[in-house]
Amino acid sequence: MLNNAKKVMMIDDNDIDLKINAKLINITKLFDEIIICQSAEEALDFLNQHIENPDKLPNFILLDIQMPEMDGFDFLEEYKNFPKKFTDRCPVAMLSSTLDFGDIQRAEANPYVIKLLKKPLSTKELGALL
Amino acid sequence: MKSPGVRILYIDDEENNLQAFKASFRRQYEIYTAISAAEGLKIIQNVDIQVIIADQKMPNTTGVEFFKSITETFPDPIRILLTGYTDIEVLADAINHGDIYRYITKPWNDLELHNSIKNAYDAYKAKIDLRNKIAELEKTNDELNRFIYSISHELRAPLVSVIGIVGLVKMEGLYNSSGEYWSLIETCSSKLDYYIQKTLQYYKNNKTTADHTPVDFKKLVAELIEVYAYTDRETQFTVNVNQPTPFIGDLFRIEVILGNLISNAIKYQKITELNKKVNIDVEVNKEAVQISISDNGMGILNEHLEKIFTQFFKSKIHHGSGLGLFIVKEALNKIGGRIAVSSDLDHGTTFKITIPNAK
Repeated sequence: MLNNAKKVMMIDDNDIDLKINAKLINITKLFDEIIICQSAEEALDFLNQHIENPDKLPNFILLDIQMPEMDGFDFLEEYKNFPKKFTDRCPVAMLSSTLDFGDIQRAEANPYVIKLLKKPLSTKELGALL
Repeated sequence: MKSPGVRILYIDDEENNLQAFKASFRRQYEIYTAISAAEGLKIIQNVDIQVIIADQKMPNTTGVEFFKSITETFPDPIRILLTGYTDIEVLADAINHGDIYRYITKPWNDLELHNSIKNAYDAYKAKIDLRNKIAELEKTNDELNRFIYSISHELRAPLVSVIGIVGLVKMEGLYNSSGEYWSLIETCSSKLDYYIQKTLQYYKNNKTTADHTPVDFKKLVAELIEVYAYTDRETQFTVNVNQPTPFIGDLFRIEVILGNLISNAIKYQKITELNKKVNIDVEVNKEAVQISISDNGMGILNEHLEKIFTQFFKSKIHHGSGLGLFIVKEALNKIGGRIAVSSDLDHGTTFKITIPNAK
């Protein structure tokens, strides 16, 4: 049986922001389940591990840009190697406190990214994307 | 007196000349001599030479041919051509292709040659100094850019977390639970955020070179209203964009300019006004875009109109950062734009800007 629960994967190295955003999502019930990853590597491990198991996979990814070692853009480079069957139904929104124009343009030029959301996360903006 | 470290290479196929040159100048400079272009090349490959003097008339390779052959590989040493006969074609070739600094006729006059060498060495030093300065400046600029980038993240990230927490407090209905403390935290955080954003805009406007990208004004204005009207849903916007032709311009600066003006139009409304309005008209043609932003807000005192574009000017009653309009003016200067303002106290303000179309 197919599990229809909506799952969001949050990738961010900042504990506090993960906590804030998880709370926001719990309050607004925009998703049923949250997969928390504190690094891009952790997120890739998770996806690789469950790629054959659609029930476990997220339907949406909130991706921070600035993270140590592997940043959001590095993650996207790996993300495009996942099967299209998965990536097609799992859009990515980047989430960042950046005001850097280069980052914004770069994010929005990426075919896997539907939008760059600015921190603090606005549930209204997030809701509009879903 | 010997100038320390001035290394000179003299190439001539006549041994006598090499000896005479050495005798005249060895006290002042570090002299290297070569009997042919091939020998000379060996020397510049091994020694850091600053001034090269070459005789024009030599078997196998002439002076000019030698200079030509090293324009790519050894561009730095200053070149002096020495020749016994004056052939206008050789001269033209030397100047056009050999990058010659001086041309001296044989037999040389010691004083003249000495002065030429001195000047050549000064030219060499100026060239190297300039290059070092440029490298230094590029490094500083690069560091500054990285600094700006890191401020935009490192300084802002924790602040944005604080603002996020205040948002959560609101959602959980705790905002009024501790008197006005939460609202005070919110006010301070937004103010700090505003200052960080303005500072970044200012620096980025100073640093970034103008870029040329297509600008879709309808989309841009809609986005900016969305961003700035977020905190205020009362203001009615009337937007008219007439863009029959493409506009090419500096998107970052145009966004900064319009963003600041739109945010001001919202911010400086009259509290008592029930019908808050902002009109934005955009008219694009092949030469330029004309944008008019007018509000029915509190207006600007006549005596302040002159000063609103100066850095850190703030009116006593309505305190902004004193940076917004200053940045607008600076950004317009960078892209060749103009701004005019007219205002009626208590009735509203109109800003009119013109930005050339770089198509």
